[in-house]
Amino acid sequence: MATALTGTDDLMAPVVADVAAPKKPETDTTERVNQLEVVLRYILYIIITVFLFVPFVMTVLSSFKTSAEVIAFPPTLLPSVWHPENYLNVLTQISGFPRMVFNSFFVTLLVLALNLFFDSLVGYAFARLEFPFKNVLFSIMIATMVIPGFVFIVPRYILLLNAHVVDTYFAFVVLYFVQPAFILLMTQFFKSIPRDLEEAAIVDGLGWFGIFWKIILPLARPALLAMGILAFQGQWNNFLDWVIYMTSPNMQNIQLGLVTFRGAYQNQWNLIMAGSVIAILPILLIYVVGQRYFVRGIATTGMK
Amino acid sequence: MAVSVAPKAPAATAKGSRRSQRGGMAIAQRRAGLLFVTPYLIFFVIMQLAALVFAFWVSFHRYDLLALDNPFVGLRNYARLTINEDFLIALRNTTEYSVVVVILQTSFALLLAVLLDSKIKGRNFFRSTWYTPSIASTVVISMIFLYVYHPTGLLNSILGLVGIHTTEAYLQSTTWALPAIMFLNIWTTAPTFMLMFLAALQDIPKEIYEASAVDGAGAVRKLVSITIPLLRPIIFLVVSLGIIGTFQIFDQAFIMTHGGPLKATLTVALLIYNNLFVDTGTVGVACAEAIVLGIIIFALTLISRRVIDTRIEY
Repeated sequence: MATALTGTDDLMAPVVADVAAPKKPETDTTERVNQLEVVLRYILYIIITVFLFVPFVMTVLSSFKTSAEVIAFPPTLLPSVWHPENYLNVLTQISGFPRMVFNSFFVTLLVLALNLFFDSLVGYAFARLEFPFKNVLFSIMIATMVIPGFVFIVPRYILLLNAHVVDTYFAFVVLYFVQPAFILLMTQFFKSIPRDLEEAAIVDGLGWFGIFWKIILPLARPALLAMGILAFQGQWNNFLDWVIYMTSPNMQNIQLGLVTFRGAYQNQWNLIMAGSVIAILPILLIYVVGQRYFVRGIATTGMK
Repeated sequence: MAVSVAPKAPAATAKGSRRSQRGGMAIAQRRAGLLFVTPYLIFFVIMQLAALVFAFWVSFHRYDLLALDNPFVGLRNYARLTINEDFLIALRNTTEYSVVVVILQTSFALLLAVLLDSKIKGRNFFRSTWYTPSIASTVVISMIFLYVYHPTGLLNSILGLVGIHTTEAYLQSTTWALPAIMFLNIWTTAPTFMLMFLAALQDIPKEIYEASAVDGAGAVRKLVSITIPLLRPIIFLVVSLGIIGTFQIFDQAFIMTHGGPLKATLTVALLIYNNLFVDTGTVGVACAEAIVLGIIIFALTLISRRVIDTRIEY
């Protein structure tokens, strides 16, 4: 019986665990203690789940209410009348919303594509190829990762301003065509692939790019998926760079657009909530579908 | 997101012999290697190195985005920070914010991870739902919490259910505005670090726990004397990522309070933004503030490395 307890590491029931410690072979009491422990554990888990999840549920429910009902007192849980047309109103009443959706998708996918290619290319070189200054450059990359992003904001802004890139999509290319954290992720993944495959390819006379493109990349699918999900999430959720580097009303993503809309219509709670649901939806879908890859990616790449 | 660094591949000697075997290959490999890292090299030289040098240069000047002449002022931008009331308020707010959030989010994340690192049924369900706050954007989280903190929003509704009737406007209160933003950040970030802790927990050999169970160690004893010491490297990583993140708090304060009420949520990052875009002639000041912020973050990271001894003794 004791083994069942040692398998757990429940810090909520220390007394219980101590009571059930060895040299107490009364299976009767330990079993009862076990059941109590399981019930207590589930209560705790459910409280935490409610704590972390309920704001999302209330947001979704609010998005179907009237704006007055969202903040009505006394509050309602379910909408007294469901208003799915709120989602249509988001499209019509938030000016330029379709453009915001396009901007979000376009920039996110552009940055994603650049990173999938360049980060794995650079990561492969760091992991497998011998070239001058490799270790120096790799150390520099690690060292510069700890520099806080805000240090770069002013000089990059002035740089982009003078290059006439501010307020264009190209700004995101310049800022994000490689991301050191993802290069590191790919480097670590490539180091874990056995060398035999490349040795065979060298004999076959494939060039280094051919080896990378035809042999290594197909093997790197789990790492590319893990990195892709992180890159997509990071760029889709990006707010700061749109505030800093974009200026015209046309150049807003969903995140910035929501903030702008909220600034103008503080009381349109139902639309703000519906807009928030739309803004989180793509990420949520990717998370639900890709979670397996996501978790496995963290495990295989050692990215923790 | 930063990542732990894997030890260097111990293949130096093997590489050496391979190189001598195929002399011509080595040159092709060097060429390919340099070509492949060129994208990062370009990024480093322009977006990191030049940007950093330029940041220092700007911080020594009275800089204006529209001015043709930006006079050199030496260290005056830095000196002025020590007597600039806004900067001192922002620094105090940011430090307070960071200390509270880093301690609480690290503890909460560890608690969540320990709870998930067991054979309980529905473990995957709990992990998935608990992680959800971390996938939402700062904007969406801010919108949700604007509703939570509304005088008749979710928080006061829940308080009403348990008999506490209040219509406190948390974000308009000099007492509550900063703690309110602290809370939402802990709520959002803890699940991210939960995943990092969980991955590390699963790497701990189970025999260590089994040995301690034989000695009759309780669950709390096990956590304090086995789990936490073994997790020190990851705790350091989580704490330093926490410091880097919290000291640059911008989005939530910008969206929810704009630094108010009465500068109660004015942060250094918000001040940098204002000095860059709102005020005139203060771009040099913004740079000086950012550099000071960077130095503070760097120093605190080093200190936390000292405090959290990252060496593991088995």
